[in-house]
Amino acid sequence: MANQIIEAHQEQTSTISRVNVPPAQTWNYLRINDLSFEVPTPHFVGDVYARLPRMFEGVECGIGDEAATWIVRASGDARFVEVKAGEQREQPIYVDIDASATEVRDTGVLVRTGASATIVTCAHGCEGDTSASLLRVVAERDARVTIIELVACGSGQQHLDAIGIDAAEGARIDMRQYALGGSRVALGLACSLAGTGARFALDSRYLASGRDVLDVNHVVRQRGRVTRSDIVTTGILADAARKTMRETIDLVHGAKGAEGSEIETVLVTGDEVVNKTLPVILCDEEDVAGNHGASIGAISPEQLGFLSSRGLSDDVAERLFARALFDDALIHADVAEARQAVLARATEVLGIDVARDIAEVLDIDFEEASC
Amino acid sequence: MSDQLLSVSGLSAGTEDKPILHDINLTVGAGETHVLMGPNGAGKSTLGHVIMGDPIYQVTSGSIVFGGQDLTDKSPDKRSLAGIFLSYQAPVEVPGVPLYSFLRTICQMRPELKTTARKFRQRVGEIADQLDINQNFLTRELNVGFSGGEKKKIEMLQLLLLRPKLAILDETDSGLDVDALSIVSRGIEAYRKECDGALLMITHNTRILERLTVDRTHVMVHGSLVADGPASLIDDIDAHGFARFENALEQKEQA
Repeated sequence: MANQIIEAHQEQTSTISRVNVPPAQTWNYLRINDLSFEVPTPHFVGDVYARLPRMFEGVECGIGDEAATWIVRASGDARFVEVKAGEQREQPIYVDIDASATEVRDTGVLVRTGASATIVTCAHGCEGDTSASLLRVVAERDARVTIIELVACGSGQQHLDAIGIDAAEGARIDMRQYALGGSRVALGLACSLAGTGARFALDSRYLASGRDVLDVNHVVRQRGRVTRSDIVTTGILADAARKTMRETIDLVHGAKGAEGSEIETVLVTGDEVVNKTLPVILCDEEDVAGNHGASIGAISPEQLGFLSSRGLSDDVAERLFARALFDDALIHADVAEARQAVLARATEVLGIDVARDIAEVLDIDFEEASC
Repeated sequence: MSDQLLSVSGLSAGTEDKPILHDINLTVGAGETHVLMGPNGAGKSTLGHVIMGDPIYQVTSGSIVFGGQDLTDKSPDKRSLAGIFLSYQAPVEVPGVPLYSFLRTICQMRPELKTTARKFRQRVGEIADQLDINQNFLTRELNVGFSGGEKKKIEMLQLLLLRPKLAILDETDSGLDVDALSIVSRGIEAYRKECDGALLMITHNTRILERLTVDRTHVMVHGSLVADGPASLIDDIDAHGFARFENALEQKEQA
């Protein structure tokens, strides 16, 4: 019943403003502080749907209150999953967002003490207007959570994807984020490392081409002592794509011994690309360490030299990086439906021959599909 | 004497501000095994990289002819596709590129190695087993987080997969423990047997040569090739070091 809801009411639209606002803003003229979205106005016909338990209400999700509220309202229904204490859940919790059907999802996952779980979200489709997903995760003490976030929408689609995480003492969150498509995409992410020794590792990858707009906001609040965060972002920008990346590590007062690092490497292959990055470390504690760095432009000379010595020209090396992004997404998308969505997007971006080759090399069934 | 595969003639090269190699003459025949020895800083690795076409170095005179084709001005990718392979002393990490993607792409660039994905997977699996490489490595990013020994094994995997006509192994044995050295030696031996390729081994460690039949040994000092001889020269160097070559070069330069 979670499939929703916008249906035939898309003639009514409203504007969501202040999407992906970073904790520390900069000069407005840089146009990096936020983004606005035109979205369908949710329409209700009297049904009453489930809401998530109240514990999820306070979970920050990076995309902004206005956008999060819209997703909750537009989704109508909500899905709640609880992984019991000590359970090592093998079957991934899968959140499927069919962007062609303008689906909007609101999901809450509670991973109890000492439990482990994998969550896969995948937005996909070819046509349609606006889709969205809001995933909130509460990880209790010593929980282990792996999150794979895939946005494989087709050209012409608008998508909002938000993830909020609260991690208690000793909890460990490993996350991989893949932005593979969509004409206008906002990714919001916030992780609160509240408990002592909580850890968060994010590997974020993106590919934007054509006139796509990709807008990302990563926020990590390190509140607990000896917490660790490690954000590694790599991306490819082609043609006239526009990307904004905000990465904030907030070392909150009291987070003694906390360490955080963020680094972004961008491969720019288009002459009209607009690439904006706002890396910020906020620090209100003395005994902490924060690092950030960005490498923008091309593949490093050492890497190019190495790849060239194996027979790859600069052009082929760039194509390898694009293919590798899909390979990597497939390797980690541990759900058959999500893999097919990635392959469909690969077909659109790289062509059917390369997509089929990727599938066969990784021994994945290939169902021909593209936009 | 087998067919001449590589011919380096009167080669001088260096970085923008520093000449390193001086008037190098070296020929390697098809299927031959040559060993290049010399003290640290002699320019051995530089010669390997210059033959591969590393753009860090500029050739100021001389030529590099490979398989009858003058490659002196060609880019490294052209040289690689012509059949030259350089195993790096410190293989470069390439984040974001799974090993599988990389291997597939470098094979598909070579018409003689193009094959179906199924056969490719099978071939890679066989070589990985041969080199005791865990198949999980194939889905990891190229060289990222690998130990020194693992990186060298991955270099050997590429060597056996690409089957080049000439492999230049730049201190492939450095930093390896006994077990890893044994596996890498097995890989080199397999390359010689299965591919009948030529080898130019740059090394300080004669253990890696135990399984090989060496055709020629060359000695480099201060960027110059100062001696060459049969395999027995290796034992001689092992016993007496490079001092006499360094002294001879010094006297020659003073004269």
